[in-house]
Amino acid sequence: MPERNIEFGKYGARGIKGHEAVARQLDALAGYIATPVTARRGLLARLHYLTRTDHAQQRAREAGLAVTDRTLKAWLDGKRSPSKANLERIEQAYRTVRRENVARYLLARLNREGRGTRVEIHPLNQSQVDRPRQRVVEFRTLNVRRWDQIVQAWSTGDDQGLDDAWVDQIIDLGSQWGQYEYVTTVGFAA
Amino acid sequence: MSDFQAIDALLAATPADRTPLPPAEQRRQLREGLGLSRAQVARALGVSPSTLGGWESGRDPSGDVREQYVYFLQQAGEKVRSRTATEPPAPATHPAHAAPMESGELGGDDGEDLVQLVTPAPCLLCGQPAQFALAGVPQHLDTAECNTASSTPQTPATPPQPEAAKQKPPATRRTAARTGDVPIVPKGRRAQAASDTPDLIGQAVAAALAQYSGDVEAATAALVKRAIPDAMALLDATRKGGRYDVVAHPWVPDILRKPTAHGADQIWEARPKWTRPHLPAGQHEVTALDINGAYLSALKTHLPIGQLEHSTGNHHDRRRAGVHLITPPVWEHDAVLPNPLGSRDEPGPLWVTEPTLRLLLRLSGPKYGLCDPPEIHESFTSGATENLLEKFRIALKDARDAAIAAGDEVTLEYVKAMYSKFVSTMGESNYNRELYRPDWMHIIRSQAFANLWWKAHRAFDEGLMVVRVMGTDELHVIGDWRAVFPEGRGVAEVKIKDVYSVGTDPDHTNNP
Repeated sequence: MPERNIEFGKYGARGIKGHEAVARQLDALAGYIATPVTARRGLLARLHYLTRTDHAQQRAREAGLAVTDRTLKAWLDGKRSPSKANLERIEQAYRTVRRENVARYLLARLNREGRGTRVEIHPLNQSQVDRPRQRVVEFRTLNVRRWDQIVQAWSTGDDQGLDDAWVDQIIDLGSQWGQYEYVTTVGFAA
Repeated sequence: MSDFQAIDALLAATPADRTPLPPAEQRRQLREGLGLSRAQVARALGVSPSTLGGWESGRDPSGDVREQYVYFLQQAGEKVRSRTATEPPAPATHPAHAAPMESGELGGDDGEDLVQLVTPAPCLLCGQPAQFALAGVPQHLDTAECNTASSTPQTPATPPQPEAAKQKPPATRRTAARTGDVPIVPKGRRAQAASDTPDLIGQAVAAALAQYSGDVEAATAALVKRAIPDAMALLDATRKGGRYDVVAHPWVPDILRKPTAHGADQIWEARPKWTRPHLPAGQHEVTALDINGAYLSALKTHLPIGQLEHSTGNHHDRRRAGVHLITPPVWEHDAVLPNPLGSRDEPGPLWVTEPTLRLLLRLSGPKYGLCDPPEIHESFTSGATENLLEKFRIALKDARDAAIAAGDEVTLEYVKAMYSKFVSTMGESNYNRELYRPDWMHIIRSQAFANLWWKAHRAFDEGLMVVRVMGTDELHVIGDWRAVFPEGRGVAEVKIKDVYSVGTDPDHTNNP
């Protein structure tokens, strides 16, 4: 049995990569600002978050928000409003900085002093697959003890790194781990 | 004239005069006087032992079986009378069963196999004459009796000392059964005594009381604060060895997601908020009843185990549970009974949960026929079981009952916080991230409302006047509700919240 799917979805199976589901769940746990950046309220909240301290501003600059202080002040005062491209940059910088800030605490909660966190893996959706081609893929749970690499890859936005770190963990599911390369959702608490 | 003939014929067909039955306690004494068990008599009469028990505790039989029962009681009375006349008095005044209450107790709580012997036979254990046979084996019912019989044969002058009886080790299987069997529970491939399993609730309470050196208020506050993680730990402990895993983070359809942090999702929980529109003229005394532990009882409900799957079509699968988009039927009994859908003003289809749908389907069935069946458009369901939270519920209920019996307010508050917070935070709450099941939260709440609806229906069915049905646990009725609902603090009982009067006295309105 191949461990990596070569042509996923050929017969109608639906799902997302396991590491994407993990990233989604980590994003949900990180708790971003709910109001979209296109609304004035959401924009201001993000700008305040990114300009709260000099350190925060430095991190925002590193994360790609390369604008002058004058521009930032004008945005905050409402004299000018950011262009569409800049709105995207603000959103991207906000998410990066927020991830970096949250990562430390999230990691501690997920590792739970070595006890780890129980992860639920909900298998891919086969409802659109022809009956003879459907396979029994069960709901599985797994206790992940070391989250360091996963959280690190997530906080830096390293997709390939997150994939590798996640596959390193789900290998513990046993020989059928390839069935869980694509999933519906991955659930865990922190 | 033919009408009168028909009436005459009907009157002639009825028995000439219905023999009055003796009072309830005498019925029982008569049966026990003959040494007959409830099961024996019930078999002869062709009824169940519990029916006979009902007759002996005040209910009256009706129909043909009434005549048979009257005949049995008459014959039993004569037989007892003739026996007491002929029997020598000495063995009859044996201390153990001289009082009829004594033998009554034995017959009552020890099952159906106990028979009083007409002629004493040697006891299985001590060899002395015994008056009773259990499962066909003559024996003394009490160790003390056994011992006194063997030490002082045929001299029943000194009644056994109760203290001495308590100190003696249990010698017979009767006594062992009486002093309390050891309840056991399965553990892996073995069994162990139920007392050996960790009592999480008791331990937590004891630890908190020790920590705050007996300060009840501080201990209660500390326990209430940690109620949610403790409830999750209890849930994990009760699911050990269970058939199904608790799936805590499934994919959830959008209808179950809150649009914003404070918004509501699209599920209608059918919370009742109903007041009877009219009352008959005159003054009425209304009793507001409170259902005890409504959410605790509602933990027994059909819960979807896994991830919800979508389906369409007007079909309900009894083995699945979830949420359904239905067009509700018209409710025409709003003058006497609340709408099972709660106080919904908006017309059109709505998302309801499993308990509400089952309530509507049951009411539309042939037994009740109170409304048309609801039309199901689409459903999100999963395979269901009623037993997922059953052990959890039993553990909490037992702790609650024990706390009430012992007057232990700390445990009571702790248990209450555990189940109420467990239900309210099992959805998308940040206070409990271990369990993200908004579907369960809605289903358990709806079950509580459906249970309340059935209580209202029962009150209505028994002839009470239902005045208000509100919230989770409030039921206002007019009439003798004590005949319908037992009063108390247990989960099957109700307690009085308030008594008030409604309407004006007709005399006052006539003479202003």
